[in-house]
Amino acid sequence: MKKRSDEYSVQNNDTMKVSAFGALWLHLMCGFGVAIAFWVAHQFYSINLISDPAHSLLLVWIVECPIVILLYSLLRDNSAECSYLKAVGRGILGLPAGALVIALGGIALGAPIGTRYLLGTINWSLLMSLFTFAPAAAVFGSSWADWRRIFANTRPVGSVDYMLCLPAHGAVIGSWFGAWPMPLDWERPWQEWPVCVTYGGLAGYVVGMVASLCFVIFSSRRPQQQHVKAE
Amino acid sequence: MWRSRSQKWSLICPFFFIILIHSIAIFLFTRGFLLTRTELPHSSNCSDIAQCPCVSLPRDEDNPLPNQTCWTESSIDRLVIIVLDALRYDFVAPSTFFKDKKPWMDKLPVLQKLASEPGLSSRIFKAIADPPTTSLQRLKGLTTGGLPTFIDVGNSFGAPAIVEDNLIQQLVQSGKRVVMMGDDTWLQLFPHHFEKSFPYPSFNVKDLDTVDNGCIEHLLPSLYEENWDVLIAHFLGVDHAGHIFGVNTIPMIQKLEQYNNILEKVVEALKAQSGPGGLHENTFLLVMGDHGQTLNGDHGGGSPEEVETSIFAMSFKEYRFALPSELDVSACGVNLDGKKICISYLEQVDFAVTVSAMLGVPFPFGSIGRVNPRLYFLGAGSLFSKCNDMKGCENSSYLEEWMQHYVNVLCINAWQVKRYLDVYTASSVIGFGSEDLLRVADVYSHAQGYWSDVGKDSSSCTMGCYDSLLPAMKMQVDAYLKFLDSVIELARSKWTEFNLKLMGVGLSVIFASLFIQLIAIKRLNKFCGSSFLSAGHTEDSANLILALIVVLIRACSFLSNSYILEEGKVAMYFLATIGILELRYSIMTMKLLSEATLSLILVCVLRFIMEFGLSKQAASSLDLASILEIAQHHRVLMYWSLILPILPMILLAYLSHKCVAGRSERRIQIYVVNGSIFCYMLIASHWVVESKVIHVPLLLQHIGRNCIPRLIYAAGFSQLASLGLGCLFCRSTTSDYQRDLIVNTVAMLSACSSTIILLLGRQGFLIAVATIVAAWCIMRLKNLRPAIGNGTSSNLTFYLLPVTKWNLLAVCLFFCTGHWCAFDGLRYGAAFIGFDEFILVRQAILLAIDTFGFSHILPIFGLPLLVAYRFPNEQINAGKVSIFLQLSQVYLMYGFLTSISATFSTLCVAIHRRHLMVWGLFAPNLKHHNMNHFQQALTSKMISKTSMDGSPARYPTPVQSGTHLLHSGRSIYLISLPQPERFGAAIRQ
Repeated sequence: MKKRSDEYSVQNNDTMKVSAFGALWLHLMCGFGVAIAFWVAHQFYSINLISDPAHSLLLVWIVECPIVILLYSLLRDNSAECSYLKAVGRGILGLPAGALVIALGGIALGAPIGTRYLLGTINWSLLMSLFTFAPAAAVFGSSWADWRRIFANTRPVGSVDYMLCLPAHGAVIGSWFGAWPMPLDWERPWQEWPVCVTYGGLAGYVVGMVASLCFVIFSSRRPQQQHVKAE
Repeated sequence: MWRSRSQKWSLICPFFFIILIHSIAIFLFTRGFLLTRTELPHSSNCSDIAQCPCVSLPRDEDNPLPNQTCWTESSIDRLVIIVLDALRYDFVAPSTFFKDKKPWMDKLPVLQKLASEPGLSSRIFKAIADPPTTSLQRLKGLTTGGLPTFIDVGNSFGAPAIVEDNLIQQLVQSGKRVVMMGDDTWLQLFPHHFEKSFPYPSFNVKDLDTVDNGCIEHLLPSLYEENWDVLIAHFLGVDHAGHIFGVNTIPMIQKLEQYNNILEKVVEALKAQSGPGGLHENTFLLVMGDHGQTLNGDHGGGSPEEVETSIFAMSFKEYRFALPSELDVSACGVNLDGKKICISYLEQVDFAVTVSAMLGVPFPFGSIGRVNPRLYFLGAGSLFSKCNDMKGCENSSYLEEWMQHYVNVLCINAWQVKRYLDVYTASSVIGFGSEDLLRVADVYSHAQGYWSDVGKDSSSCTMGCYDSLLPAMKMQVDAYLKFLDSVIELARSKWTEFNLKLMGVGLSVIFASLFIQLIAIKRLNKFCGSSFLSAGHTEDSANLILALIVVLIRACSFLSNSYILEEGKVAMYFLATIGILELRYSIMTMKLLSEATLSLILVCVLRFIMEFGLSKQAASSLDLASILEIAQHHRVLMYWSLILPILPMILLAYLSHKCVAGRSERRIQIYVVNGSIFCYMLIASHWVVESKVIHVPLLLQHIGRNCIPRLIYAAGFSQLASLGLGCLFCRSTTSDYQRDLIVNTVAMLSACSSTIILLLGRQGFLIAVATIVAAWCIMRLKNLRPAIGNGTSSNLTFYLLPVTKWNLLAVCLFFCTGHWCAFDGLRYGAAFIGFDEFILVRQAILLAIDTFGFSHILPIFGLPLLVAYRFPNEQINAGKVSIFLQLSQVYLMYGFLTSISATFSTLCVAIHRRHLMVWGLFAPNLKHHNMNHFQQALTSKMISKTSMDGSPARYPTPVQSGTHLLHSGRSIYLISLPQPERFGAAIRQ
């Protein structure tokens, strides 16, 4: 335990730099990215998640991808040693890798297999990866201890950790719940494979963002206390 | 070792007690839930009429029985019945009768035209079927005139042949020659009744034309022959088109148009020969549906779309008088050409008795219908035709004569129904309530009282005084109809309603048993000396809470039909969820990382296997085995398809060999395991011979096909027997109980496995290896949590999660092996491995082994491994008592989990008892889970005794196959049930 908290304290010097305003701005941008993508899909391609899930998801993650990776790369760890471009590169690499993990998890949980759903699954897992793993990759790179701290232990320390951890968990848990209505026989179009899971994921993401914002504001008000707690 | 024998018994007793309570509960519940009707073997005879109090028609005294008269005077000579399966009411009725015109309406214009022609005596009826609206049940209902339930007691399980008295049997008894063509269901129902038959297979739903073309081929020529009296032609095209394409589709409309052409030709042919002295001078034509269908082509339930069908009846005589309007329940309108067309109303229960009355054969014994006035009127032409010549009979005298006749028929009808009621009450296990019977008897005697008045008058009266009798006869008819209506109402309430009280009691007993099991688990916990939920270990209690949440959500999912339909996926979902959380935990603690990852990957693999298994549900049989068989066209792929299943076999053989190697002290077990390895090789050679890759001589082929499987069955049986005897006679002397337990369990598993794998087919080995890896992962992963040896946490918290996983894995395996919870989810092919001919008990046992092999037998026998592999690192040589305690606790927990599923599916069935899908989906699920539980409970008891006590291993096979017999028997009825996939209206509220 002692060792781990040492690691955290090293982190803290960097992570404390994000202000509540910065967090708000970042989360708003991420949220707006998704909203704009849906608006574009509706306005210019006249598709939405229900009518053409695969392509709207494609559009959403393409729009969201630069926003998330570029923004989170600003918060990168050890900004002295690691250049901005390198962080962006890490984020871009993390995107497909995270998507692979998420797709595997999704299939284990019951995502339909088959060529009909393949495109939808790929695009959905890329989007989910943008919510979860890609920002973490941009921020932490290959720091195993940090990854473990965020995703296995769920012990976020400092504002960046909150901003990574809570939306990611929110998106995953939201998707998990989002799968519940799928087998029901209401025969609604939104019960198709990636649609309701995406809705769940988005809702969870938003909730996670709001929660992380609250935590950041809370911790920025009492920075001293937070520091002590981490120690 | 044992402090006392009584203590051991106090541990085993709960198992017995729980089994007892569960059986009581399930017995009570099923008594209330499964509607039963006893089939009576009696049949009506011509001579029975002597007992009838009805005064028969004023016949000439010197000529007591006219030639063709039995109970009633036969009014038609020949009958043509054309059955169009799944004929919706709106296929026949003109579209003007409906709010808006749909594309499939008015596609049988020939019937509408005939019905609206004023000169002809033809009529369209709206016929109401009784649920269950499946073809087999409906044909049974139509011919017996009863209300078939799903389980008619007294029926032989294997063959669905009707043993009750029925129309066809009466026809044959009266010497009528019956010709049948079309759907071969008729031949199943009436195997020896037809003079000539041209059956065509009905099970291939995708084939729209074979049955119909066969019918057409034989139907039209037959109309010119005179070697039959009753002709039945059963067309299936509309039913099949509905099942595959739905109603609003082009194939359906094409089918209807084709039928229109055929019907035109039939009517033409009949008409051409209907002149005096012609072949069809007195022929009656019936075109009818056996049930309706929904717009998606499903049927089986009780929604209006499914029960409304129609009958078109036509006689080639002309009548000049009309039926009094009180007797004719009909709706009139105009058809497309602006002509008046009337549609009458008929219940399908009335069909058998009405046709019997028209043909002059005795009414079927068990019929509870009434003679439909309109239909009977249409057919009664010949009785009054003689009047034409004698004198100028005017309208009213025809009518009176007919009324007289009809009252007489109704009297016989009422007497016959009353007789059936009395006999049924006297001879069946569950008769009618005495109050209801009294009420009905009262109505009957009332009607009969009328009759004696009217009868006296009419017998004393000559032709002249009919006028005065008409109102009296109408009252008489009303009285009889009232009686018959009250009987049918009573019968419906009896045969289509549930006994809520019994169901409620059963349910509460089941819930009570849950609590008893909880108490038993807690009690064992105390035995172990650790407190319930020892505080301080948050991770432990998190574990417990996770397991409880999973179990709870899964239990609740049984309350919805959609989740039951996807039960395998739901189980997989939870298994994967637990897997992910454990992976997360193992990353957190950096322990057993590879096992956690492996288990998650394995879930993915199982998921793929299940997908192939489940896709079999969608008609095409696409399990792994058949995918392998598809490859037969390619030479290389063919070899691969053989080698692929053999690789896991080698792995399996190696694993089981390794498990027992170097443990010379247990001789029998080693022999048993080696025997299984030998069996695996036999299985492989069986497949080689089957697959025809290598050309083998015919004799060898026969040996490979039949002798090898039989040899394997025998080997499996003898392995089990020797294990049992070994346990009985060779008391183990070793002190290493853990290893002892492992060797025992492995030997038991391997003894069972060879038969199960053989029955499962080529995917067997693959799944077996997957199972072993999954089980190994579960065993390893349970050590993620701190072990309990030091008494920090209880057995309960330690074992609950692994046991839950084990349970979920078992459920997943059930679905992975190509089964699903429906009666047609049984893999019938498995019952015929090694045998060509059908013997009920033997095949039922094989089917049971196949169905429950991977999902129940192996997991339950394998459960001791969970306990045995508990201390891999710490060398705590747990004593016999401690291991036994843990073992029985694990079994109790497993039992608790399965009984939760059983309880909730029972609850679900109780809630949805009126649901359309009760029979298609919930009931099999209930059976499945209950059987699960039984088996599990039994086996666990046996195991816990066997492994520690050293008493012989008896297997629950007898019980299991007994229950399964019921299972497979019922499935034969249900097999024709279409896949019910959506909510529909409730069955007859």
